[in-house]
Amino acid sequence: MTEKQRRVDDGGKGGGLRSRWESVAAALSTALVLGVIGYLAYEAVARPHTPPAVEVVQESVQRAGSGWVMEFRAYNQGFSTAAAVTVEGKLEKDGEEVETSEAVLDYIPGRATRRGGLFFREDPRAHQVELRAMGYQEP
Amino acid sequence: MRATSRAADRAFFTGLARAFGGAILFALPLLMTMEMWWLGFYLSRTHLVVFTVLMIPLLVALDYYSGFEETRNWREDLMDGMIAYGVGLAASFFILALFGVIDASQTPREIVGKVAIQSVPASFGAVLANSQLAGDAESDDGQKRRKEQAGYGGQILFMVAGAVFLAFNVAPTEEMILISFVMTRWHALLLLVASLLVMHGFVYGAGFRGTPRAPEGTSQLSLFLRYTVVGYAVALLVSAYVLWTFGRFESTPFLACLETTLVLAFPASLGAAAARLIL
Repeated sequence: MTEKQRRVDDGGKGGGLRSRWESVAAALSTALVLGVIGYLAYEAVARPHTPPAVEVVQESVQRAGSGWVMEFRAYNQGFSTAAAVTVEGKLEKDGEEVETSEAVLDYIPGRATRRGGLFFREDPRAHQVELRAMGYQEP
Repeated sequence: MRATSRAADRAFFTGLARAFGGAILFALPLLMTMEMWWLGFYLSRTHLVVFTVLMIPLLVALDYYSGFEETRNWREDLMDGMIAYGVGLAASFFILALFGVIDASQTPREIVGKVAIQSVPASFGAVLANSQLAGDAESDDGQKRRKEQAGYGGQILFMVAGAVFLAFNVAPTEEMILISFVMTRWHALLLLVASLLVMHGFVYGAGFRGTPRAPEGTSQLSLFLRYTVVGYAVALLVSAYVLWTFGRFESTPFLACLETTLVLAFPASLGAAAARLIL
Protein backbone atom coordinates (compact mmCIF):
# COMPACT_ATOMS: atom_id res chain seq x y z
CA MET A 1 0.00 0.00 0.00
CA THR A 2 1.45 3.36 -0.95
CA GLU A 3 1.05 6.47 1.11
CA LYS A 4 -1.39 7.98 -1.32
CA GLN A 5 -3.81 5.12 -1.17
CA ARG A 6 -5.25 3.68 1.93
CA ARG A 7 -7.50 0.82 2.63
CA VAL A 8 -10.13 2.08 4.97
CA ASP A 9 -10.88 0.07 8.06
CA ASP A 10 -14.27 -1.33 7.30
CA GLY A 11 -14.72 -3.85 10.04
CA GLY A 12 -14.13 -6.77 7.68
CA LYS A 13 -17.04 -6.06 5.32
CA GLY A 14 -14.82 -6.31 2.26
CA GLY A 15 -12.49 -3.41 1.62
CA GLY A 16 -12.60 -0.77 -1.06
CA LEU A 17 -9.86 1.43 -2.35
CA ARG A 18 -10.73 5.08 -2.53
CA SER A 19 -9.23 7.41 -5.07
CA ARG A 20 -6.86 10.03 -3.72
CA TRP A 21 -8.71 12.53 -5.90
CA GLU A 22 -11.56 12.15 -3.51
CA SER A 23 -9.63 13.94 -0.77
CA VAL A 24 -8.85 16.72 -3.25
CA ALA A 25 -12.51 17.04 -4.24
CA ALA A 26 -13.58 16.92 -0.61
CA ALA A 27 -11.11 19.65 0.35
CA LEU A 28 -12.19 21.89 -2.55
CA SER A 29 -15.87 21.31 -1.84
CA THR A 30 -15.47 22.00 1.86
CA ALA A 31 -13.65 25.24 1.06
CA LEU A 32 -16.43 26.20 -1.38
CA VAL A 33 -19.27 25.38 1.02
CA LEU A 34 -17.60 27.11 3.97
CA GLY A 35 -16.79 30.07 1.72
CA VAL A 36 -20.44 30.46 0.73
CA ILE A 37 -21.61 30.05 4.33
CA GLY A 38 -18.97 32.49 5.55
CA TYR A 39 -19.89 35.08 2.93
CA LEU A 40 -23.62 34.77 3.65
CA ALA A 41 -22.97 35.07 7.38
CA TYR A 42 -20.80 38.14 6.76
CA GLU A 43 -23.57 39.69 4.64
CA ALA A 44 -26.10 38.86 7.36
CA VAL A 45 -24.07 40.55 10.10
CA ALA A 46 -22.17 43.33 8.36
CA ARG A 47 -24.84 44.81 6.09
CA PRO A 48 -26.79 47.73 7.51
CA HIS A 49 -30.54 47.70 6.83
CA THR A 50 -30.72 50.90 4.83
CA PRO A 51 -33.81 51.44 2.65
CA PRO A 52 -33.45 51.49 -1.14
CA ALA A 53 -32.18 54.73 -2.66
CA VAL A 54 -32.27 54.66 -6.44
CA GLU A 55 -30.18 57.02 -8.53
CA VAL A 56 -30.98 57.16 -12.26
CA VAL A 57 -28.28 58.20 -14.73
CA GLN A 58 -28.60 58.78 -18.47
CA GLU A 59 -26.43 56.50 -20.60
CA SER A 60 -27.12 57.26 -24.26
CA VAL A 61 -29.69 58.72 -26.66
CA GLN A 62 -30.39 57.10 -30.01
CA ARG A 63 -33.03 57.18 -32.72
CA ALA A 64 -35.72 54.55 -32.23
CA GLY A 65 -38.28 54.30 -35.01
CA SER A 66 -39.96 57.66 -35.46
CA GLY A 67 -38.80 58.84 -32.04
CA TRP A 68 -35.88 58.54 -29.65
CA VAL A 69 -34.78 56.16 -26.94
CA MET A 70 -32.83 57.22 -23.90
CA GLU A 71 -31.02 54.36 -22.20
CA PHE A 72 -30.52 54.74 -18.46
CA ARG A 73 -28.79 53.05 -15.59
CA ALA A 74 -30.49 52.82 -12.17
CA TYR A 75 -28.21 52.24 -9.21
CA ASN A 76 -29.59 51.29 -5.80
CA GLN A 77 -27.37 52.88 -3.18
CA GLY A 78 -29.26 51.28 -0.31
CA PHE A 79 -28.73 47.73 0.92
CA SER A 80 -32.36 46.59 0.56
CA THR A 81 -33.92 45.35 -2.65
CA ALA A 82 -36.43 47.64 -4.38
CA ALA A 83 -39.21 46.01 -6.41
CA ALA A 84 -41.39 47.60 -9.11
CA VAL A 85 -39.29 50.74 -9.37
CA THR A 86 -40.92 53.35 -11.60
CA VAL A 87 -38.43 55.54 -13.44
CA GLU A 88 -39.69 58.81 -14.88
CA GLY A 89 -37.98 60.92 -17.50
CA LYS A 90 -39.10 64.51 -18.10
CA LEU A 91 -38.13 66.72 -21.02
CA GLU A 92 -38.27 70.47 -20.37
CA LYS A 93 -37.67 73.53 -22.52
CA ASP A 94 -37.48 77.04 -21.12
CA GLY A 95 -38.87 75.78 -17.83
CA GLU A 96 -41.90 74.21 -19.47
CA GLU A 97 -42.67 70.53 -19.49
CA VAL A 98 -42.62 69.12 -23.03
CA GLU A 99 -42.93 65.38 -22.57
CA THR A 100 -42.74 62.67 -19.88
CA SER A 101 -42.15 58.94 -20.19
CA GLU A 102 -41.84 56.20 -17.61
CA ALA A 103 -40.53 52.67 -17.30
CA VAL A 104 -40.87 50.07 -14.53
CA LEU A 105 -37.92 47.95 -13.37
CA ASP A 106 -38.99 44.68 -11.71
CA TYR A 107 -36.19 44.51 -9.18
CA ILE A 108 -33.08 46.43 -8.22
CA PRO A 109 -31.14 44.48 -5.58
CA GLY A 110 -29.25 46.41 -2.92
CA ARG A 111 -26.03 47.96 -4.21
CA ALA A 112 -26.82 46.76 -7.73
CA THR A 113 -27.42 48.35 -11.11
CA ARG A 114 -30.23 47.63 -13.56
CA ARG A 115 -30.68 49.12 -17.02
CA GLY A 116 -33.68 50.27 -19.02
CA GLY A 117 -34.82 52.73 -21.66
CA LEU A 118 -37.36 55.55 -22.07
CA PHE A 119 -39.01 56.40 -25.39
CA PHE A 120 -39.60 60.01 -26.37
CA ARG A 121 -41.19 61.63 -29.44
CA GLU A 122 -38.88 64.67 -29.15
CA ASP A 123 -35.09 64.56 -29.24
CA PRO A 124 -33.97 64.55 -25.57
CA ARG A 125 -30.68 66.15 -26.55
CA ALA A 126 -32.50 69.34 -27.54
CA HIS A 127 -34.14 69.54 -24.09
CA GLN A 128 -33.34 69.64 -20.43
CA VAL A 129 -33.74 66.12 -19.07
CA GLU A 130 -34.83 65.23 -15.57
CA LEU A 131 -34.54 61.56 -14.61
CA ARG A 132 -35.69 60.14 -11.30
CA ALA A 133 -37.03 57.03 -9.57
CA MET A 134 -40.58 57.67 -8.38
CA GLY A 135 -41.00 54.89 -5.81
CA TYR A 136 -40.70 51.23 -5.10
CA GLN A 137 -42.38 48.25 -3.49
CA GLU A 138 -40.87 45.93 -0.90
CA PRO A 139 -40.35 42.52 -2.49
CA MET B 1 -1.40 -1.61 -6.81
CA ARG B 2 -1.11 0.85 -9.70
CA ALA B 3 -3.93 -0.84 -11.55
CA THR B 4 -6.29 -0.85 -8.58
CA SER B 5 -5.46 2.78 -7.89
CA ARG B 6 -6.35 3.68 -11.44
CA ALA B 7 -9.58 1.70 -11.16
CA ALA B 8 -10.40 3.58 -7.95
CA ASP B 9 -9.71 6.89 -9.71
CA ARG B 10 -11.95 5.93 -12.60
CA ALA B 11 -14.73 4.85 -10.23
CA PHE B 12 -14.44 8.15 -8.40
CA PHE B 13 -14.63 10.31 -11.52
CA THR B 14 -17.55 8.27 -12.85
CA GLY B 15 -19.29 8.91 -9.55
CA LEU B 16 -18.46 12.59 -9.77
CA ALA B 17 -19.84 12.86 -13.31
CA ARG B 18 -22.97 11.08 -12.18
CA ALA B 19 -23.28 13.52 -9.27
CA PHE B 20 -23.13 16.47 -11.69
CA GLY B 21 -25.77 14.81 -13.86
CA GLY B 22 -28.02 14.24 -10.87
CA ALA B 23 -27.50 17.80 -9.63
CA ILE B 24 -28.56 19.31 -12.96
CA LEU B 25 -31.49 16.93 -13.38
CA PHE B 26 -32.91 17.60 -9.93
CA ALA B 27 -32.30 21.36 -9.94
CA LEU B 28 -33.26 22.25 -13.51
CA PRO B 29 -36.93 23.07 -12.81
CA LEU B 30 -35.85 25.53 -10.12
CA LEU B 31 -32.87 26.82 -12.08
CA MET B 32 -35.44 27.91 -14.65
CA THR B 33 -37.82 29.52 -12.13
CA MET B 34 -37.49 33.30 -11.89
CA GLU B 35 -38.84 33.50 -8.34
CA MET B 36 -35.78 31.49 -7.30
CA TRP B 37 -33.44 34.05 -8.90
CA TRP B 38 -35.24 36.86 -7.09
CA LEU B 39 -35.15 35.02 -3.78
CA GLY B 40 -31.40 34.75 -4.36
CA PHE B 41 -30.97 38.48 -3.81
CA TYR B 42 -33.85 39.58 -1.61
CA LEU B 43 -34.02 36.66 0.81
CA SER B 44 -32.84 37.45 4.33
CA ARG B 45 -29.16 36.45 4.55
CA THR B 46 -29.74 35.17 8.08
CA HIS B 47 -32.45 32.76 6.89
CA LEU B 48 -30.31 31.70 3.96
CA VAL B 49 -27.21 31.00 6.04
CA VAL B 50 -29.19 28.93 8.55
CA PHE B 51 -30.66 26.84 5.74
CA THR B 52 -27.24 26.38 4.12
CA VAL B 53 -25.72 25.16 7.39
CA LEU B 54 -28.63 22.77 8.09
CA MET B 55 -28.15 21.20 4.65
CA ILE B 56 -24.78 19.75 5.71
CA PRO B 57 -26.03 17.21 8.30
CA LEU B 58 -28.97 16.34 6.02
CA LEU B 59 -26.66 15.63 3.06
CA VAL B 60 -24.21 13.65 5.18
CA ALA B 61 -27.02 11.53 6.60
CA LEU B 62 -28.50 10.99 3.13
CA ASP B 63 -25.10 10.03 1.84
CA TYR B 64 -24.89 7.40 4.56
CA TYR B 65 -27.95 5.65 3.08
CA SER B 66 -27.65 6.39 -0.61
CA GLY B 67 -24.57 8.41 -1.39
CA PHE B 68 -22.75 8.57 -4.68
CA GLU B 69 -19.92 6.42 -3.35
CA GLU B 70 -19.89 3.45 -1.07
CA THR B 71 -18.80 4.59 2.34
CA ARG B 72 -17.18 2.85 5.26
CA ASN B 73 -17.25 5.32 8.10
CA TRP B 74 -18.70 8.65 9.16
CA ARG B 75 -15.62 10.54 8.01
CA GLU B 76 -16.18 9.33 4.46
CA ASP B 77 -19.86 10.19 4.71
CA LEU B 78 -18.86 13.70 5.76
CA MET B 79 -16.41 13.91 2.84
CA ASP B 80 -18.97 12.62 0.35
CA GLY B 81 -21.67 14.87 1.75
CA MET B 82 -19.40 17.88 1.30
CA ILE B 83 -18.49 16.78 -2.23
CA ALA B 84 -22.19 16.49 -3.06
CA TYR B 85 -22.73 20.01 -1.69
CA GLY B 86 -19.74 21.31 -3.64
CA VAL B 87 -21.05 19.65 -6.81
CA GLY B 88 -24.47 21.21 -6.17
CA LEU B 89 -22.93 24.68 -5.83
CA ALA B 90 -20.69 24.27 -8.88
CA ALA B 91 -23.48 22.84 -11.06
CA SER B 92 -25.86 25.68 -10.06
CA PHE B 93 -23.19 28.26 -10.80
CA PHE B 94 -22.41 26.86 -14.25
CA ILE B 95 -26.03 26.48 -15.34
CA LEU B 96 -27.04 29.94 -14.08
CA ALA B 97 -24.01 31.44 -15.85
CA LEU B 98 -24.91 29.50 -19.00
CA PHE B 99 -28.42 30.98 -18.88
CA GLY B 100 -26.99 34.46 -18.32
CA VAL B 101 -28.94 34.73 -15.06
CA ILE B 102 -25.68 35.52 -13.28
CA ASP B 103 -22.96 37.57 -14.90
CA ALA B 104 -19.93 39.64 -14.01
CA SER B 105 -21.94 42.89 -13.78
CA GLN B 106 -23.83 41.63 -10.73
CA THR B 107 -22.76 42.11 -7.13
CA PRO B 108 -21.18 39.15 -5.25
CA ARG B 109 -24.17 39.28 -2.89
CA GLU B 110 -26.54 38.61 -5.77
CA ILE B 111 -24.44 35.86 -7.37
CA VAL B 112 -23.68 34.01 -4.12
CA GLY B 113 -27.32 34.27 -3.05
CA LYS B 114 -28.65 32.87 -6.33
CA VAL B 115 -26.16 30.00 -6.36
CA ALA B 116 -26.57 29.19 -2.65
CA ILE B 117 -30.34 28.82 -2.89
CA GLN B 118 -30.16 26.66 -6.03
CA SER B 119 -27.55 24.42 -4.43
CA VAL B 120 -30.25 22.94 -2.18
CA PRO B 121 -32.07 20.90 -4.86
CA ALA B 122 -28.83 20.46 -6.83
CA SER B 123 -26.94 18.87 -3.95
CA PHE B 124 -29.91 16.57 -3.28
CA GLY B 125 -29.57 15.48 -6.89
CA ALA B 126 -25.83 14.98 -6.49
CA VAL B 127 -26.24 12.81 -3.42
CA LEU B 128 -29.08 10.77 -4.90
CA ALA B 129 -27.45 10.33 -8.30
CA ASN B 130 -26.00 7.04 -7.18
CA SER B 131 -29.13 5.36 -5.95
CA GLN B 132 -31.23 6.58 -8.86
CA LEU B 133 -28.89 6.78 -11.84
CA ALA B 134 -26.18 4.19 -11.23
CA GLY B 135 -25.98 1.29 -13.66
CA ASP B 136 -26.72 -2.15 -12.27
CA ALA B 137 -23.10 -3.26 -12.48
CA GLU B 138 -22.16 -0.54 -10.06
CA SER B 139 -24.97 -0.79 -7.58
CA ASP B 140 -23.63 -1.00 -4.08
CA ASP B 141 -24.79 -4.06 -2.25
CA GLY B 142 -23.61 -2.66 1.05
CA GLN B 143 -25.67 0.51 0.54
CA LYS B 144 -28.73 -1.53 -0.40
CA ARG B 145 -28.42 -3.59 2.73
CA ARG B 146 -28.04 -0.42 4.76
CA LYS B 147 -31.13 1.07 3.17
CA GLU B 148 -33.22 -2.01 3.83
CA GLN B 149 -32.05 -2.08 7.40
CA ALA B 150 -32.72 1.62 7.87
CA GLY B 151 -34.48 1.81 11.20
CA TYR B 152 -37.19 4.18 12.33
CA GLY B 153 -34.71 7.06 12.43
CA GLY B 154 -33.67 6.33 8.86
CA GLN B 155 -37.29 6.34 7.71
CA ILE B 156 -37.85 9.71 9.39
CA LEU B 157 -34.72 11.03 7.68
CA PHE B 158 -36.00 9.90 4.27
CA MET B 159 -39.29 11.65 4.97
CA VAL B 160 -37.52 14.89 5.98
CA ALA B 161 -35.42 14.80 2.81
CA GLY B 162 -38.41 14.09 0.56
CA ALA B 163 -40.48 16.80 2.22
CA VAL B 164 -37.68 19.38 1.94
CA PHE B 165 -37.13 18.58 -1.73
CA LEU B 166 -40.79 18.75 -2.79
CA ALA B 167 -41.58 21.75 -0.55
CA PHE B 168 -38.56 23.57 -1.93
CA ASN B 169 -39.73 22.92 -5.49
CA VAL B 170 -43.11 24.61 -5.09
CA ALA B 171 -42.63 27.06 -2.20
CA PRO B 172 -40.91 29.84 -4.21
CA THR B 173 -43.99 30.56 -6.31
CA GLU B 174 -46.73 33.03 -5.40
CA GLU B 175 -49.31 30.32 -5.98
CA MET B 176 -48.77 28.85 -2.49
CA ILE B 177 -50.17 32.03 -0.94
CA LEU B 178 -52.77 32.48 -3.65
CA ILE B 179 -54.18 28.98 -3.10
CA SER B 180 -54.47 29.62 0.64
CA PHE B 181 -56.41 32.82 -0.16
CA VAL B 182 -58.79 30.97 -2.46
CA MET B 183 -59.40 28.10 -0.02
CA THR B 184 -62.05 28.22 2.67
CA ARG B 185 -61.52 26.72 6.15
CA TRP B 186 -63.33 23.61 4.94
CA HIS B 187 -60.98 23.23 2.00
CA ALA B 188 -58.03 23.48 4.38
CA LEU B 189 -59.47 20.80 6.64
CA LEU B 190 -60.21 18.52 3.70
CA LEU B 191 -56.73 19.07 2.34
CA LEU B 192 -55.28 17.89 5.64
CA VAL B 193 -57.35 14.70 5.54
CA ALA B 194 -56.53 14.16 1.87
CA SER B 195 -52.81 14.58 2.56
CA LEU B 196 -52.93 11.87 5.23
CA LEU B 197 -54.95 9.45 3.07
CA VAL B 198 -52.87 9.95 -0.06
CA MET B 199 -49.69 9.59 1.96
CA HIS B 200 -50.78 6.33 3.55
CA GLY B 201 -52.20 4.94 0.33
CA PHE B 202 -49.07 5.89 -1.57
CA VAL B 203 -46.80 3.89 0.69
CA TYR B 204 -48.98 0.95 1.71
CA GLY B 205 -51.83 0.72 -0.77
CA ALA B 206 -50.57 1.43 -4.26
CA GLY B 207 -48.09 -1.46 -4.40
CA PHE B 208 -45.18 0.51 -5.81
CA ARG B 209 -41.74 -1.01 -6.03
CA GLY B 210 -39.96 -0.45 -2.73
CA THR B 211 -43.03 -0.67 -0.50
CA PRO B 212 -41.64 -1.17 3.01
CA ARG B 213 -42.39 -4.58 4.47
CA ALA B 214 -43.99 -4.34 7.87
CA PRO B 215 -43.33 -7.14 10.37
CA GLU B 216 -46.08 -9.79 10.54
CA GLY B 217 -49.01 -8.85 12.70
CA THR B 218 -48.51 -5.08 12.49
CA SER B 219 -51.91 -3.45 12.30
CA GLN B 220 -52.74 -0.78 9.72
CA LEU B 221 -53.59 1.58 12.57
CA SER B 222 -50.15 1.15 14.07
CA LEU B 223 -48.48 1.82 10.69
CA PHE B 224 -50.76 4.80 10.16
CA LEU B 225 -49.89 6.34 13.52
CA ARG B 226 -46.18 5.54 13.49
CA TYR B 227 -45.39 6.44 9.90
CA THR B 228 -48.17 8.37 8.16
CA VAL B 229 -49.15 10.71 10.99
CA VAL B 230 -45.53 11.23 12.00
CA GLY B 231 -44.63 11.76 8.35
CA TYR B 232 -47.36 14.36 8.00
CA ALA B 233 -46.09 16.14 11.10
CA VAL B 234 -42.64 16.13 9.50
CA ALA B 235 -44.14 17.57 6.30
CA LEU B 236 -45.91 20.32 8.28
CA LEU B 237 -42.75 21.31 10.16
CA VAL B 238 -40.62 21.24 7.01
CA SER B 239 -43.23 23.31 5.12
CA ALA B 240 -43.39 25.90 7.88
CA TYR B 241 -39.61 26.07 8.00
CA VAL B 242 -39.25 26.46 4.21
CA LEU B 243 -41.96 29.16 4.14
CA TRP B 244 -40.27 31.00 7.00
CA THR B 245 -36.95 30.77 5.15
CA PHE B 246 -38.55 32.30 2.05
CA GLY B 247 -39.93 35.13 4.17
CA ARG B 248 -43.57 34.17 3.58
CA PHE B 249 -44.49 34.58 7.26
CA GLU B 250 -43.32 38.18 7.61
CA SER B 251 -46.08 40.41 8.98
CA THR B 252 -48.69 37.74 8.22
CA PRO B 253 -51.36 36.71 10.75
CA PHE B 254 -51.03 33.25 12.29
CA LEU B 255 -54.09 31.78 10.57
CA ALA B 256 -52.85 32.78 7.11
CA CYS B 257 -49.43 31.27 7.90
CA LEU B 258 -51.12 28.04 9.01
CA GLU B 259 -53.22 27.85 5.85
CA THR B 260 -50.20 28.38 3.59
CA THR B 261 -48.36 25.71 5.58
CA LEU B 262 -51.24 23.28 5.05
CA VAL B 263 -51.15 23.98 1.31
CA LEU B 264 -47.41 23.38 1.11
CA ALA B 265 -47.67 20.33 3.37
CA PHE B 266 -49.68 18.55 0.66
CA PRO B 267 -46.79 18.27 -1.81
CA ALA B 268 -44.33 17.97 1.09
CA SER B 269 -46.19 14.97 2.53
CA LEU B 270 -46.27 13.30 -0.88
CA GLY B 271 -42.55 13.95 -1.14
CA ALA B 272 -42.06 12.39 2.28
CA ALA B 273 -44.08 9.31 1.31
CA ALA B 274 -42.39 8.95 -2.08
CA ALA B 275 -38.94 9.29 -0.53
CA ARG B 276 -39.59 6.18 1.58
CA LEU B 277 -40.28 4.23 -1.61
CA ILE B 278 -37.55 5.70 -3.78
CA LEU B 279 -34.61 6.25 -1.46
